Amino acid sequence: MFVCYAVCLMVVDCMSLAIEAVNVDKVFGSIRALDGLSFRVNAGEIFGLIGPNGAGKTTCLRIISTLILPTSGSVNVFGLDVVQRAAEVRKIITYLPEEAGAYRNLSGWEYLEFMAKFSVKDADKMHRMVEEAARISGLGERLKDRAKAYSKGMKRRLLVARALMAKPKLAILDEPTSGLDVLHSFHVREIIKRYVSEHGVTVLLSSHNMLEVEHLCERVALVNKGKVVAEGKPQELKEKFGSQNLEEVFAKVVGFA
Amino acid sequence: MEVRIWKRFLRRLSDLLKGFSNFLIKELKELIRDPKILLGMIIVPLIMFPLLGGIMSFSIQSAQEQAEKASLLVLNNDGGNYSKLFINFLSITLKAKLAVVNATSPEDAVKNGLLEQYNATQFIEIPEGFSENMTKHIEGNLTSIKANVNFYSVFTGGGVFEAIGSSVVDGMVYQFNRMIAPDVTATTKSTIIKGEIKQGVDPAALSNLMISQAIALPITIIILLTYSMQIAATSVAMEKEEKTLETLLTLPMDRFAILMGKLSSSIIVAAVGAITYMVGFNFYMSSLTASIPAGTIDLASLGLVPSLFGYLLLGISLFITLLSALALAVIISAFAEDVRSAQSLVGYIYPLLFVPSFLLMYIDINTLPFALKIALYAIPFTHPILTSKAVTMGDYVTAVGGIIYVTAFTLVILYAASRLFATEKLLTAKLKFRGLRKLGKPQVQELQ
Repeated sequence: MFVCYAVCLMVVDCMSLAIEAVNVDKVFGSIRALDGLSFRVNAGEIFGLIGPNGAGKTTCLRIISTLILPTSGSVNVFGLDVVQRAAEVRKIITYLPEEAGAYRNLSGWEYLEFMAKFSVKDADKMHRMVEEAARISGLGERLKDRAKAYSKGMKRRLLVARALMAKPKLAILDEPTSGLDVLHSFHVREIIKRYVSEHGVTVLLSSHNMLEVEHLCERVALVNKGKVVAEGKPQELKEKFGSQNLEEVFAKVVGFA
Repeated sequence: MEVRIWKRFLRRLSDLLKGFSNFLIKELKELIRDPKILLGMIIVPLIMFPLLGGIMSFSIQSAQEQAEKASLLVLNNDGGNYSKLFINFLSITLKAKLAVVNATSPEDAVKNGLLEQYNATQFIEIPEGFSENMTKHIEGNLTSIKANVNFYSVFTGGGVFEAIGSSVVDGMVYQFNRMIAPDVTATTKSTIIKGEIKQGVDPAALSNLMISQAIALPITIIILLTYSMQIAATSVAMEKEEKTLETLLTLPMDRFAILMGKLSSSIIVAAVGAITYMVGFNFYMSSLTASIPAGTIDLASLGLVPSLFGYLLLGISLFITLLSALALAVIISAFAEDVRSAQSLVGYIYPLLFVPSFLLMYIDINTLPFALKIALYAIPFTHPILTSKAVTMGDYVTAVGGIIYVTAFTLVILYAASRLFATEKLLTAKLKFRGLRKLGKPQVQELQ
């Protein structure tokens, strides 16, 4: 009876875990980008990886997105190993790279259609998906223009809309508000929040803007030199380290302050 | 007043020059420090052209040696004294060996394999009545009567050197006439095509006509392949430069589908380009040949136009070669970070394209030394050119053999490309030119 209960708990635990990264190393030549990195993301939460430039955030996101292989360690996305079952992982995730672009000679609308066709087969559903994306991108008529005419902010909004429109089980967003002004950043953060609450999407995002993460993420992991140096809810971390904000927490953890 | 204007002018000029020279130095630094530009623009041409020249002169030399080894066959069907005089004259003046066979018709000589027996590709027939006509012309003063000799040359499918034999014979006959009597001997020239004698077809004129074809196809191939390789390389590098590749690789789509999509779209664009190019080139060639009064030679009736099957083989050969070139370009461009470096990296393939194309315009591959022949056969881009000659001559074995080799080559390259697309190499692979940079640079200093 007890064993049965334990197994049930484990299954439930496994089901509610969106990402489980255990002891992940990644070595590029002589550079150790990740050094025994471990963290867990629960299903349906917004989880933030924060740290300075070069901490290993993007490498970590690229491994979870099946773009590069870990040198050692394991990563599971909803119970699927990202190395062994990469094709299945790609069906349930979307990835927004930090410096992503859109195809210059396609219009925003065509770009969204191209992307939507990978998620749904049905033409009606596809159109609905693109219309939804058009709405959340807030680009309106400009969607008919070719992407090469877009400003940085417009391009970013298009790409965020693309990453969320398919309502993936896991959206991996590398610096989602990178290069956006205050208003655009606010808009993008609101979209992310809404998608998580309305559609149960799990979001893993990275940022070096710790104040932004504090407002957006339910839990965060502080990454430095390829390692997770602290993990928890922003409020808990601030209390634990007696700090005003996450920036201070980070400085204390890495011994800067 | 004027001095002030001058001063102001000079100050502005010196500002302009300062700005210009500062900017120029920055530009040069950027260009010269880009190892791909340095290699592509300076080092590759420095190596390629001497290499091409070396191979050419070596090949021409070996072709001449071969020509010297070959002998000239003389069929003497005239028992008279003048024919003996003519043969004597030939044996004295001609460098090549001379083999004389009596009482054999040209048809029998070809049929019975006398040419192979004497290692000859051309022969002269002294027909019956040669001496009689000579006598009439010289002693009877009947200058309208001429003594004819017939010259026959085997057509092997191309090369500038085909024309040499017939011009040598022209020269001989001219000298012989100067010695005996003006215009006493005349030559009738014929060509042996695929083992059949085509009476009255001048081998030199035929060669000249065929050379235009022998040049047209390699040029077409060079343009088609360089153009399509650039398209393929650009389309992969563009995904990297515009940062769309990472998103693409995380989509629920087979990586092989991405590779095939890239290849197919490049093929389609290149094919459209090739067709328009061919149409244009055809206009150019037809306007060129129309101005040459070579209408006497009808290639179709000589059997020197490929059959439908031949055209099909040529098409397959071209297509597969195109595919191999595109796959190569895709692999190479995967090592580039942006469009500019992808295009210069693709430039490294060009020597493989230029060397066989230019070489085979002038030289028959069979006259080349063994090692060079093998090297040429190993390059896939050689095969469509060989195939075009082979199908013209009705040699389907060579054509099919070439297609099989290029197919195998293409499959290996495609496999390598698909492996590359399946791994993280596509994102992380970079060509490193370590030798050009200082080694052992200190790592970036870390914040403490």
